[in-house]
Amino acid sequence: MSDRVVVLEVARLEAAHLAGLVGQFAELLRESAPDDGDPAIARLVPSAYSDDEDAAREFRALTQSDLLDRRASDAALVLASLQDASEIPEDPDDPALLEQMEIRIAPETARAWLRTLAAVRLVLATRLGVVDEDDHDHDDPRFGVYDWIGYRLDGLVAALDNED
Amino acid sequence: MMGALATPSVDDDIDLSELVDPARPWQTVVWDDPVNLMSYVTHVFREYFGLARPDAERLMLAVHNEGHAVVSRGPREQMEMHAQAMHDYGLWATVRQEPR
Repeated sequence: MSDRVVVLEVARLEAAHLAGLVGQFAELLRESAPDDGDPAIARLVPSAYSDDEDAAREFRALTQSDLLDRRASDAALVLASLQDASEIPEDPDDPALLEQMEIRIAPETARAWLRTLAAVRLVLATRLGVVDEDDHDHDDPRFGVYDWIGYRLDGLVAALDNED
Repeated sequence: MMGALATPSVDDDIDLSELVDPARPWQTVVWDDPVNLMSYVTHVFREYFGLARPDAERLMLAVHNEGHAVVSRGPREQMEMHAQAMHDYGLWATVRQEPR
């Protein structure tokens, strides 16, 4: 399971959007301290003890920086694999924007992709105030981004998991 | 251990359920959230716990339908390791001692 190379087909434009989003995620990780109280960061390092504050604090002290460092290195791997495909011309009418690119993702990098896309969705959901599966404002374009990342994540999971 | 000749004392006021039982196993619990995709959660259970697809799907549905599910039982340190791994995937997991 999960030891094959996954080929992701995306247009340059989409690759550039993905790289932009993952880049913002990496920036968020770089610029926020875990104790800032940002709920999006808090969601990435949730409490492991719901009724024991001391144990929760101790667990957090032991795991938080590892978890956030790993997020950052995952995001860097994703950005590296997107680098070539996400180069776009400045002219918005240039047909090269829609050129289909094949991104070959090795197994370890694919795992970084899954964790990163899942984490980006968690951050978006926090910003959008999603507390219920049915929370969906069709007029808010950020939900379009949220759904699109979900679609890509689902596709990668299927590519990694199928027929075994 | 009490000596064999000691008089056993019985105190009816002691509620056994209030005593800490060190043998009570620990659990890693995964909680439902509105964000993580069912396919992704199933993938995580398969990849991390090495479950067969039907078992992973059953566990994922338990989380989804019941609001949470126990994904592992054992020593506390190990349960914390599993919880950290779940957090690494973006799932929300907690550690607790098995409820009585």
